[in-house]
Amino acid sequence: MGIVSLCSMFQSYQKESFFDEMFAAERGEVFPHYEALLERFDRLDEAEVTEKQRRVDRGFLEQGITFTVYGDDRGTERIFPFDLIPRIIPDAEWQTIERGLTQRIIALNLFLHDIYHEGRIMKDGVIPEDVVKTAAHYRPEMLGVDVPKDIYIHICGTDLIRDGEGRYLVLEDNGRCPSGVSYLLENREAMKRAFPRMYRHYGVRPVDHYPELLLKTLQHVSPRPGQTPVCVLLTPGVYNSAYFEHTFLARKMGIEIVEGRDLIVLDGYVYMRTTKGLVQVDVIYRRLDDDFLDPMVFREDSVLGVPGIMDAYLRGNVALANGVGTGVADDKVTYAYVPDMIRYYLDQDPILENVPTYLAWREDDQKYMLENLARLVVKAANESGGYGMLMGPTSTSAEREEFAAKIKENPRNFIAQPVVSLSRHPTICEDHEIEGRHIDLRPFILYGEDVEIIPGGLTRVALRKGSLVVNSSQGGGSKDTWVLHR
Amino acid sequence: MLSRVADSLYWLSRYLERAENLARLVDVCRYDALDAADDDNEEIWRPILYATCTEESFREARDATDDDLDVGSFITFSEANPDSIRQCIALARENARMVRDQISEEMWLELNSIHLFMQSGEAEELWRLQPEGLYREVIKFCLLFEGLIDATILHDEGWHFVQAGKFLERADKTSRILDMLTYAGEPERSQLASALRSCSGFSAFRAEFRGEVTLQNVMGFLLFSPSFPRSVRFCLRELDRILHAISGMPAGAFSNEAERITGSILAQLNFSSVENVWSTGLHRFIDELQQQLNLIGQQVFETYVLLPSEVQNVARPEAWQFQWQQQQQQ
Repeated sequence: MGIVSLCSMFQSYQKESFFDEMFAAERGEVFPHYEALLERFDRLDEAEVTEKQRRVDRGFLEQGITFTVYGDDRGTERIFPFDLIPRIIPDAEWQTIERGLTQRIIALNLFLHDIYHEGRIMKDGVIPEDVVKTAAHYRPEMLGVDVPKDIYIHICGTDLIRDGEGRYLVLEDNGRCPSGVSYLLENREAMKRAFPRMYRHYGVRPVDHYPELLLKTLQHVSPRPGQTPVCVLLTPGVYNSAYFEHTFLARKMGIEIVEGRDLIVLDGYVYMRTTKGLVQVDVIYRRLDDDFLDPMVFREDSVLGVPGIMDAYLRGNVALANGVGTGVADDKVTYAYVPDMIRYYLDQDPILENVPTYLAWREDDQKYMLENLARLVVKAANESGGYGMLMGPTSTSAEREEFAAKIKENPRNFIAQPVVSLSRHPTICEDHEIEGRHIDLRPFILYGEDVEIIPGGLTRVALRKGSLVVNSSQGGGSKDTWVLHR
Repeated sequence: MLSRVADSLYWLSRYLERAENLARLVDVCRYDALDAADDDNEEIWRPILYATCTEESFREARDATDDDLDVGSFITFSEANPDSIRQCIALARENARMVRDQISEEMWLELNSIHLFMQSGEAEELWRLQPEGLYREVIKFCLLFEGLIDATILHDEGWHFVQAGKFLERADKTSRILDMLTYAGEPERSQLASALRSCSGFSAFRAEFRGEVTLQNVMGFLLFSPSFPRSVRFCLRELDRILHAISGMPAGAFSNEAERITGSILAQLNFSSVENVWSTGLHRFIDELQQQLNLIGQQVFETYVLLPSEVQNVARPEAWQFQWQQQQQQ
């Protein structure tokens, strides 16, 4: 660990009591993998930083790497704020994460297969049947259905955080339509342009093969083996906030991007409408939730879906990635059982731990929750994006009462966790001050013939001072994530 | 190619061709206004409102505001004008967004840049200080984009739809510019010259005719010239070729209504003359021509975008549109 004299931009940096990704202690005791970075920033002055930032932001805007702000009539598009200081993960650290995530996605897929078939895990009393069957995204339609290669979650985004000691913990799994990978890839492009020499010097593991891996993952489950499968990406449409990502991935994979209205089901097969007539589709990478997929089976009022697509899916004539019914795994109550699943199916200890979680439907846990609301984070089991949450320490007593009532009324739907003070990372803030901001990490896991994880993931950063919420809808930004060769 | 993608590529290019033509037209009109002795600005601008079919929306927009509404600004920026240059570019970009995976990175970057520019205060500022500067930017962009279409994407089916949109729109705009001449009764020489300049055709006209700038010559040039790339005949000949490239039909035969109508107008243009038009009356001739051009557009849509069974459900109710947008945001 090196002691360095802090350059001007870092001079007033305060590590405070948090785990800091760059500094082991106050006043310049820096982790070795950050030394070169610090040196590089030492040679930058404020004007250069401003210029680099301006160029990067302009690039994002011009390329249309934007998300649409909902609730704005003019359909304003914003860029996802990008921070120039990269997050660096040494190889050894990454290997542990990789093993942990691999173990986890295997267990989750075994779990999904099990609950839609024999239900051994419920019969053996590891997870109560009630918890599984009352999950908001549990799909009884999938009972007894064999999905191609027994894979349910082909693409998973698992959110990791680091606690006060720097331990990596799993915060949640996103097994439906995880998004963000396009930002990860574009962030890398931006950093390569902004700091070419430093990037080269560091020996960073590349990420740009993700689209190829994704395409392989999709092709792996084609129901028509032996010929080049026709894969498409199904998007809700241009008004979806992740639309940029959908076109980005389709373009990089060289597959068609389709909307529901481009597809039609005839005699249990899915076709896309082309200028030359109908073309049969084998695999659909759908970025549309189950609810909207098929108005004949799920929400009747869906105008985004494809009538009859579930029939084609259940008959095995088309593959969907991710499969239908994977949302059970996103349920925050199910999450609490993932370590048990790993032990049950794999007979291994979990490599990555969960954040300790209290389940309100357990009497003891509920009692504890209600008595300690001010010290806990309460979450609704099926909300995401930082919504439906109570941040105990910063809540008002009125908010706590409201949540207490909600918990008592519907205990199945609530969990609580101690407040984990997420690790912080130096981040360029307003007025070009560098300050510590809380971050998390969303790696993207692909489950095809093998489990593939591109090194790193999307590092999201809570740009508001003191905030622990990293979601883009609530003042979050992102950083490039460098996993090193060594 | 997905039918929806073909449709978007076709509209993307129609909107840009429209923006380019508008920019030329307004710039010429604005320049002519400098020479006008008349104080009544609106009188000078009226033909252009007529030619762009925006007389009514202009009146509505003018009545809705307390300030004076400038026709130039209305055609360049107004959101109340669905066919303003700014709106055309925004719509082209919206179509490009839907097919981003089909167009080249360069095409997207340029289109998005001009869109961001046209939405910004910078564009209005430039227009206020130096209007021709703004129109030149737009025209330059459109020409650049045309070059990118030629040089950076595959010349396959998608490219053909882009070309179809371009030539159909161009034929329509040239015919409208010609129609402006019938608006005033007996057009003066300066008006004839303006029509030629609005099509970027003055020097080409001189080269081809050498003679006087007369209504007959201008008509002959803009309708019948076999080699001027904005004449109606030239555009229809290209469109005919492109539609056959899309369907694979041999030249001279047809497999759908779009091809049939295109072929029949082209034959008419190939084998008639200024005298024929004269006896019909220019305005009536153009009126009929425009109806036919609209029909071609409609038939392209029905042939390649809709499945026959769906033709009757084309008009989506507004409520459906709203629901469609809302659900995407969940």
